[in-house]
Amino acid sequence: MTAADLLLLVMVGGLTAYALLAGADFGAGVWDLFARGRDAADQRRLIAAALGPVWEANHVWLIFVLVALFSGFSEAFGIIGSTLEVPLLAALVGIVLRGSAYVYRAYGGGAAGPDHWWGRVFAAASTITPFALGVTGAALATGDLAPAAPWRPCTNAFGLVCGLFAVTVTAFLAAVYLCRDAATAPTTAHLVPGLRRRALGGALASGALAAVLLPLLWSDAPVVAHRFAERSIPFAVASAIGGMAALALLWRRRFTAARIAAGLAVAGVLWGWAAAQYPDLVVGRSTATSAAAPEANLVALLIAIGLGMAVIVPSMVLLFRLFSHPDVSDGHGPG
Amino acid sequence: MELAAGVAGATDLARAQTAFSLAFHICFAVFGVGMPWLLLYTEGRWVRTGDPGWLALTKKWSRAFAVLFAVGAVSGTVLSFEFGLLWPAFMARYGGVLGLSFTLEGFAFFAEAVFLGMYLYGWRRLSPRVHWLTLWPIAIAGTLSTVFIITANAWMNVPGHVREVDGTVVSAEPLAPFLSPAAPAQVVHMLLAALMCTGGVVAGIYAVGMLRGRRDVYHQRGLRIGLTAVLGCAPLQFVSGDLAARVVGARQPLKLAAMEGLLRTQRGAPLTIGGFYDESTGRVRFGLELPKLLSLLEGFHTDHRITGLDAAPPADRPNALLVHSAFTLMVGLGSALLALAALVTLVMVRRRRRGQRPLLPTGRLWLWAAVGTGPAAMLAMLAGWEVTEGGRQPWIVYGRMRVADAVTSSPGVGWTFAGTVTLYLGLAGALLLILRRMATGGPGPDVPPTPVAPIPVPPTPVPRDDGEHRDEQAPSTPHRPRRPDRQAPDRQRPERQRPGRRRRVPVGGGTDR
Repeated sequence: MTAADLLLLVMVGGLTAYALLAGADFGAGVWDLFARGRDAADQRRLIAAALGPVWEANHVWLIFVLVALFSGFSEAFGIIGSTLEVPLLAALVGIVLRGSAYVYRAYGGGAAGPDHWWGRVFAAASTITPFALGVTGAALATGDLAPAAPWRPCTNAFGLVCGLFAVTVTAFLAAVYLCRDAATAPTTAHLVPGLRRRALGGALASGALAAVLLPLLWSDAPVVAHRFAERSIPFAVASAIGGMAALALLWRRRFTAARIAAGLAVAGVLWGWAAAQYPDLVVGRSTATSAAAPEANLVALLIAIGLGMAVIVPSMVLLFRLFSHPDVSDGHGPG
Repeated sequence: MELAAGVAGATDLARAQTAFSLAFHICFAVFGVGMPWLLLYTEGRWVRTGDPGWLALTKKWSRAFAVLFAVGAVSGTVLSFEFGLLWPAFMARYGGVLGLSFTLEGFAFFAEAVFLGMYLYGWRRLSPRVHWLTLWPIAIAGTLSTVFIITANAWMNVPGHVREVDGTVVSAEPLAPFLSPAAPAQVVHMLLAALMCTGGVVAGIYAVGMLRGRRDVYHQRGLRIGLTAVLGCAPLQFVSGDLAARVVGARQPLKLAAMEGLLRTQRGAPLTIGGFYDESTGRVRFGLELPKLLSLLEGFHTDHRITGLDAAPPADRPNALLVHSAFTLMVGLGSALLALAALVTLVMVRRRRRGQRPLLPTGRLWLWAAVGTGPAAMLAMLAGWEVTEGGRQPWIVYGRMRVADAVTSSPGVGWTFAGTVTLYLGLAGALLLILRRMATGGPGPDVPPTPVAPIPVPPTPVPRDDGEHRDEQAPSTPHRPRRPDRQAPDRQRPERQRPGRRRRVPVGGGTDR
């Protein structure tokens, strides 16, 4: 295994962490957007409490993957930057608005417009971002992009379904995670049935969309589709097992175990795609070999990542343990 | 011809967007560097003394910090994307060289975000001491992230340790950005600037409060800490600026020439203070010219030879009008801060001799000067960045890659720029409203009014809806385990009530008009 391959593996790991952690944060925003009925306010409060301490740390995984991409595979980053502007800019707008709106709602106290407006901005931006990132991922698989045609990634069915799939998956993850959060405290227990319904619905919708995506993958991204059939079946099976197990566990209200199963279902899709994408970074334009930075730089990068992870991973574990029971009355409280 | 004009337009737009996004980001990023150090001090005082006044400052600042950090974080994310979106050729060629800087910066940012989560939401889950300890990684990581990111910029200014063949990097020392001769001076200069900006803005806010008649201990402490940061760093900043200018003179002579508005390469070069560089005559108009001083400053000898702008063809020169003006502004504001620091020190020494308290002068004029330190420091910092970046033009990597060769060929840059400006200005406006609300309102209802003399701890803490009554007690009381479920009744309170409660006039006397 070359240093470039190892770095790619690390990047897939970072991407998995981003999907499972920040993805769920986005999904929580989606549920904030669709919160309806008597419990809507309580649900939004639970979402805010679950996100508050962790969303910034979760978000950094994206920066990690991005930096690894442009440091290790600069050429690919240049191509992505000059062909995928439209979805990337949409994702950026989403990221900026989501982060700002979240803190403006949490700390603004209505000084810059009513808090619930910022809540809506936060929720809408949380929906746009995974959609745009899904479209971006699809474009990397099809390779159907050109500098002069910035809108192309957003005008084909495969890209759009991928975007929708990303939103659905994040919403599914979030609902599963929130089930467990709501179930831990008596004050939020009344939210569990609604969240469980959403989680079950999200699982079914994700499965259905995955079934739609497969034929589209064959028609729009034949290169990746062939490799998918060769290499990615184990990952697809793992994903399907995870999804089914999540359904069963949700049904039996085993929410902690359901989290793990749901995580496996999502990670399986991601790994399956990554395995099928290799060695292309942008299909037809840039491969792991053509884009790789000089070996010495890659090794230095890997050492830096190893050292960094040795500090960050324990810190993150500490963070998640500390806030494993979100408290809707947590935080500063306004003042 | 048309194509060339198109490229030039795209380059200008891309530069404008980068400058705008960077300026926006850095105005928040400086607080990510400076605030944790100030918080370490105030919360440390609270942990040691149990004085609720220190807690009041800490809580107020941590709230502002939370908002500033989040906006800094997302605008920083935009930048990392923008490098690729606007300068794809630059990133494609040199991304690997800068990789280590950016990766390490990423990890520093990771650490900052992780511990900030613990800090902001851990008030009731951590003991006061452990809560205070979580500030250390935040402060260290915030500082390190500046160090790492500045090395990347320093390498763009003075690149080296890279071998290129036909425009492709064939080998690069992994530590290249850290080995750039520009790095040490630039890092120190920026770190001090960050501290000065944070201190100045903090001092300014409390000075405004005092001008409005809130002359309690809470405001005096806020003012004192802010002024200490901004004025204490001012002399150090002067020394580091001098070192930085010397490196520029040695490694980027054209940048120095633009800073000084010097057209002709000469021995015994004069130092020109102020004025505007006139490109048609190559002279600085309305400037104060001090003969031979520049040579003396740069080479410690009046005969030292200084490279002028004429060493390069006109197309390869930076815009000396812009760079010289920005440099003048930075040095002028820095000198004003230095003068203020000297005056304040003088007055403090006199007051100390006479046994007067507080030592810090708080007359109206002094307070107005303190109000000015925030904008002065911020403006000086932005002007400094204009000098650094504008002075490197037309290069994106000095001597290796031109800005025009790095820019994206995408047609939509104008729209992107317009969108960025609209979005950022909207967010900044909202943020100012929020910060203004935070700044007015004094210590906030969390904490009893700051006493001049220590007050006895109330026998029964008043229960508050967010359960922070522990904070009103002396922290020396042993930490009680606070499982969330013990406060279950508190959590039922609907959020609707919150804004109303916040509008309550603080007992401690805020800066509400």
